[in-house]
Amino acid sequence: MSTICRLAVVALAGFAPALLAGSAWAQGPASRMGPFDTPLAKVITCAACHGVNGNSRSDAMPIIAGMDAAYIKKQVETYAAGGRPSPEMGPYSKQVLDIGVDQVAAFFAGQKMEPTPVKVDAAAVERGRAAAAVCVACHGPAGKGDPARGIPSLAGQAPGFLRDQIRLFKQDARNPGDAALIALKAIMKTVPDERIPDLAAYYSSLR
Amino acid sequence: MSKLTRRGFLEAGSAVLAGAVAATGVGGCASMMGETQPTGRRRVVVIGGGWGGATAAKYVRMGDPSIEVVLLEPNRQFISCPFSNLVLAGLRNIESLSFNYEGLSRRGVQVRHEMALAVEPDTKRVRLAGGYLSYDRLIVSPGVDFQWEQVEGLPAAKETVLHAWKAGPQTVQLARQIQAMPDGGVFVISVPPVAYRCPPGPYERISMVAWYLKANKPKSKVIVLDANQNIVSKTALFREAWKAYPNIDYRATNKVVAVDPGAREVRTEFDRVKYDVLNLIPPQRAGQIAVDAGLTGADNRWCEVNHVTYESVKQPNIHVIGDATTGLPVPKSGNVANNMGKISAIAVVALLGDKPVPLLAPGNTCYSWVSNTEAIAVVNAYKIEGGKVVQIEQRLTPAQHASVAARAQGWTQSIWHDVIG
Repeated sequence: MSTICRLAVVALAGFAPALLAGSAWAQGPASRMGPFDTPLAKVITCAACHGVNGNSRSDAMPIIAGMDAAYIKKQVETYAAGGRPSPEMGPYSKQVLDIGVDQVAAFFAGQKMEPTPVKVDAAAVERGRAAAAVCVACHGPAGKGDPARGIPSLAGQAPGFLRDQIRLFKQDARNPGDAALIALKAIMKTVPDERIPDLAAYYSSLR
Repeated sequence: MSKLTRRGFLEAGSAVLAGAVAATGVGGCASMMGETQPTGRRRVVVIGGGWGGATAAKYVRMGDPSIEVVLLEPNRQFISCPFSNLVLAGLRNIESLSFNYEGLSRRGVQVRHEMALAVEPDTKRVRLAGGYLSYDRLIVSPGVDFQWEQVEGLPAAKETVLHAWKAGPQTVQLARQIQAMPDGGVFVISVPPVAYRCPPGPYERISMVAWYLKANKPKSKVIVLDANQNIVSKTALFREAWKAYPNIDYRATNKVVAVDPGAREVRTEFDRVKYDVLNLIPPQRAGQIAVDAGLTGADNRWCEVNHVTYESVKQPNIHVIGDATTGLPVPKSGNVANNMGKISAIAVVALLGDKPVPLLAPGNTCYSWVSNTEAIAVVNAYKIEGGKVVQIEQRLTPAQHASVAARAQGWTQSIWHDVIG
């Protein structure tokens, strides 16, 4: 840029304060703030791990799109109370409660669930199918659960996440003392450790 | 190139004085040839296609497809800084961290691979090599630039003394130097004084290099020259992890003040240290364009912003996000930049639609690898209180673990898609 051109730019810049005086800026942006009103805004911190619209593409993070709203709310409250151990969800559950858990839960419940893209071994799926006989009573033959009874769908869920949760139930590290989960944990204690990845593979493969 | 005559300049000045800020009068300057992309729609220009800027561009389009979004980013690839320390240990290749911008183009973001030369806040224009771009709102996500002048000898050696603090060619070069270093060689790394990009990043890097050297060059060592009084982030977890690495020689309060590549030596305030491979991470400030645009504070270093809208406190209609910001109780992390990208986008959409701006706080999830299989993490949740971002809670992983590493992998899969997909 030529020197003279620079001078022109400087001349323009010198008028900035005068231009500001009559703009909305003079009122300050704070006067325009209010409660959020866009669905996009409700879940901005969630997508970093759970994926856009709650459809996690990863092995370790759960898909929460399409999950029953009451179930999501219960989990957020349980994380915040310390009933589910998670360095990530411990703090974030409190952020969700601050934002409004009902709105967040409703948003994710309203999204269409896309099954996990994580591939699993076909032999593991077959071993898991055989081992899953004890699970059917609650989670149903298709693994879809029963929202009315607070039982989540496992079908198409991320296998790494399912593995982690089965282990946590088996160790009584998730929701310790929750009477509704006593039967589940008793069953999990009968599952050999080497069968846990098979069960996870099977349920993640269901559509 | 056409020349601006004295008469033309006076006319331009008159136009300014008359308040005609459309400023056709300066159109005679070749570098301000005119609007490069005339539009009748509302337009948001985003400077910088990193974690913050790419996310912001995408989310403005998601929030209101009637808004035209132009993203200015000279690089044709987005290369992730998070996980790039794994490249130094030979555990990943740089290609696995590299993405193109086609995902954003598919969402209607107009990606222009060129440099924003200057911002003109009063005319609401961004100057480019071939003219200018007008904006209704500007989002600046300039990242960091280095304060080369703070280290004697560095300005002259900045092409050869590697920082590898912007993932890309230098990451690959540094990995090659470490691999080529003889067994028994000394790797020296300097940690800059806070504030800098990615507080735990240097310590993850130290862990990764120490792991690699322990496995491949057991006679080598890592000398850490930390300008700070202690490990800046995840302190106890890194200390615990480093018990496995007796090859780390950690020296706190050892600020590097000079480098002599000829003598292969760095100087601290107290000492001289010889190296075989050097990774000098210089002190940092906001990207140059933010400084030039008058967005930085009195220190000429970082940009103060409104905690709800990310609008600059210095310039109206300009929002600043990511590592360049200051004043919020958040680390300079990719996760935070991604969140700021979304929040600023939602604010910009609301402001352009003359609607209330939602009160949204970012979150921070930050994983650090400490071996080839294990990682640690820190998580921060925030809320808005009295118009300011305040922390609700910070939590660390109780110990390093493979399950944390698995979640780190999961986080990248989700967040890379969120930023650039």
